Amino acid sequence: MHKVRIAPTLLYKNNLVKGKNFKSWRVVGNLYQMIKLYNLREVDELFFFDIDASKNNSIQLSLIDEFADECFVPLTVGGGIKSLDDIGNLLKVGADKICINSSAMNDINFLKKAVDKYGSQCIVLSIDYKINKKEQKEIFINSGNKPTGILLENFIEKVSKVEPGEILLTSIDHDGIMKGYDIETIKKISKISDVPIIASGGAGSLNNFYEIIQKTNIKALSAASIFHFTEITPLDVKLYLDSKGVKVRI
Amino acid sequence: MNINKYDVAVIDYNTGNIDSVIKAIKYFNKSVILTNKQKDIDNSKRIILPGQGSFQFGMQQLEKLNLIDLIKKKALIDKIPTLGICLGMQLFADLGYEKEKTAGLGFIKGEIKKISTSLKLPHIGWNEVSFEQKNDLFDDLENDKDFYFVHSYYFDCSKSKNILAKTSYDFKFPSIIRDNNIVGFQFHPEKSLKNGFKLLNNFLKI
Amino acid sequence: MSDIFFCKTCVYPSSKPHIEFNDEGICSGCIAFKRRPKIDWKKRELKFKEILNLNKKTNPDYYNCIVPSSGGKDSHYQIIKMLEYGMNPLVVNVIPDKLSELGRYNIENVKKLGVDTIEISLNPNIRRRINKFALETVGDISWPEHVTIFTVPVKASVFMKIPLLIWGESAENEIGGPIEAQDADILDRRWLEEFGGLLGLRTNDISDILQIPKEKLTMYTYPSDEELKKNGTMGLFLGQFLQWDGHENALIAEKHGFKPYDKDVEGSIVNYENLDNVYMRIHDYFKFLKYGYDRVTDWCCTHIRRGRMTREEAVKINQEKSGKFPEEYLGYKISEILEEINCSREEFIKICDKFTNKSLFVCNNKNELIKDNRLNLILKNNEYK
Repeated sequence: MHKVRIAPTLLYKNNLVKGKNFKSWRVVGNLYQMIKLYNLREVDELFFFDIDASKNNSIQLSLIDEFADECFVPLTVGGGIKSLDDIGNLLKVGADKICINSSAMNDINFLKKAVDKYGSQCIVLSIDYKINKKEQKEIFINSGNKPTGILLENFIEKVSKVEPGEILLTSIDHDGIMKGYDIETIKKISKISDVPIIASGGAGSLNNFYEIIQKTNIKALSAASIFHFTEITPLDVKLYLDSKGVKVRI
Repeated sequence: MNINKYDVAVIDYNTGNIDSVIKAIKYFNKSVILTNKQKDIDNSKRIILPGQGSFQFGMQQLEKLNLIDLIKKKALIDKIPTLGICLGMQLFADLGYEKEKTAGLGFIKGEIKKISTSLKLPHIGWNEVSFEQKNDLFDDLENDKDFYFVHSYYFDCSKSKNILAKTSYDFKFPSIIRDNNIVGFQFHPEKSLKNGFKLLNNFLKI
Repeated sequence: MSDIFFCKTCVYPSSKPHIEFNDEGICSGCIAFKRRPKIDWKKRELKFKEILNLNKKTNPDYYNCIVPSSGGKDSHYQIIKMLEYGMNPLVVNVIPDKLSELGRYNIENVKKLGVDTIEISLNPNIRRRINKFALETVGDISWPEHVTIFTVPVKASVFMKIPLLIWGESAENEIGGPIEAQDADILDRRWLEEFGGLLGLRTNDISDILQIPKEKLTMYTYPSDEELKKNGTMGLFLGQFLQWDGHENALIAEKHGFKPYDKDVEGSIVNYENLDNVYMRIHDYFKFLKYGYDRVTDWCCTHIRRGRMTREEAVKINQEKSGKFPEEYLGYKISEILEEINCSREEFIKICDKFTNKSLFVCNNKNELIKDNRLNLILKNNEYK
């Protein structure tokens, strides 16, 4: 049976950080040590995003190379991907999947080229959205700083045709607040998308993970704050889901 | 006289993350080279064909690098242990139907087809590998353990004797195939932690 | 390329975990300190006395509070204050792994203040395995100690049925964490996980990964929420109710027989703290490697805020003394200290490098750290701007 995956996310801004609604970034620890820890715990998958890479126009290949050496779990890397070479370089230093955000929003053809060259198996499209002044779900780029004017639902239909391997969907409004995922939106999007969705933003309790699985058909969940700020580990989440009858890898 | 310089040659044909495969083999203290040079491949005790991406692209790359004949010789004539991972395993088929009908290496009888399902594709994540028959590849390995998959196509194997294990994603497809010295894993053993490493170790013992 | 910057008034860096800065570039610790005079300390002390009186009433012929103690200057201060308030404290002392002679002397001195003490020592074989694992995994050789310092007194509260625990400084207040945390009066499990220096490692990890049976990790396992609720366990920070000053505490403690080290403790600029535990030096050094600041910085900031040092002086002291490779501590050489956990000096240096946040330090063009002939690193922004 195909299992539900729980993937911790690591955010990097010269240090390991976590924020609320993509703001007020707080240093939460040491990157190397979290990578080691998650590998020791044998998590299902790990996400790593360099949130300054786009702004600085540089990807920290040697940093990623170093910690990828410690990483035996599937690793998805994102942040600042602007060219096909960026993707190739990251795959070479040890990333298993590459996550593209702003570049894909700016030019969907870039996404298509990436999928054509490297295969959908290693391309994840990351979409960050929040409710705008008109009460619509709008996509934002550059770490949530720049509105694109593109509405979420319209875009999903368009992008499914390009066939990235997965879509990482993050609710900026829910992120870091630890009050639960944006179940309603994820459910809707998962219905209209042919591409598997990974939900992100808002996990604050064991039950948060269960309720979104119960109410939607998604198979992958990402979380950060809950693992940094509470005693809950990814294994705790999986044991809880298992006790509720959800198929997970234990 | 062939001097076997390397324990393993991992074929570098420009597809996907090979770093993890190399790391895994080094973990077992085997000498390994990442290469597309004929001389190195010819001088190795085993071959691993990794890969991600399209069947057509994979075969085109192998052709461009002039490796098809050599790999065929090593696998079918010299009969050295040959492992295909993910796309690598799929290239062992006779034919692939991704984009256009493309000829594969023809090591194990079968065709590569798109997984036909109402579930979302690619099949990504952890899923159980269930043994269909006994095999020394499964030494010390428990049945129905999870391995990490990421693919949209599957190997429609013609002979059930070649199917060592199956996995279910809306329907059952071969996840481990074997014909003597030629082995294929649809999943990524190098990403499948303890169980993946056990399997790799067993391959390295062939 | 480094985005590290420093507080305009003290010398804490932006890379410090949980720190926040206002628009003028002043850190949350300095802001909290400035709030102090505005705080109605009389009201706070009254609230504190109320809680103490309640506990006296409900536990008439018994201990009415637990004071976790290490025998240090702060522990002395906490116990002296509790006795002044007429409380009947039970002191709970978790003995560190490599207790120094000076540490033992001061622990005995605490008892002479006139208190009963429970001393708890942990299985040293298990502890050393965890020390080594923690050093390699989270870069903190003192992780087991952190956990037990917080956990054991809380367990004692439950098994001795003494609900009230009196802790010392609210670390986040003085040292400057997020603004919401600064008024936290109660040390519950969430606080522990978020700020208690656990670095992401949980007790479950130890039992799973090191295959140590859970029964052997009893003293590392925090009581359950039900146990705590049933017992009415409540932890208070003295530093929330009385104005805390580590330096003043030392003076008071010394008046009551506390003995400091005969010179400044290596890696710090004072002679009166962390005297009991030899691993502390390594622990503090890793703080520097990961975040660019250490005990030297901590003390400078404390002194700056109280007008005992100017920022310029603090910068100079940090440049001279902060971040030095720990060759020696309290008379022990690093190789001696490491021998106990089966770690060679070379292995140790490798581990140090792995945990170093390279974005903070000067590297060559191969992205390797540049060290001087004493293995010291160079902070990129060492003007402390």
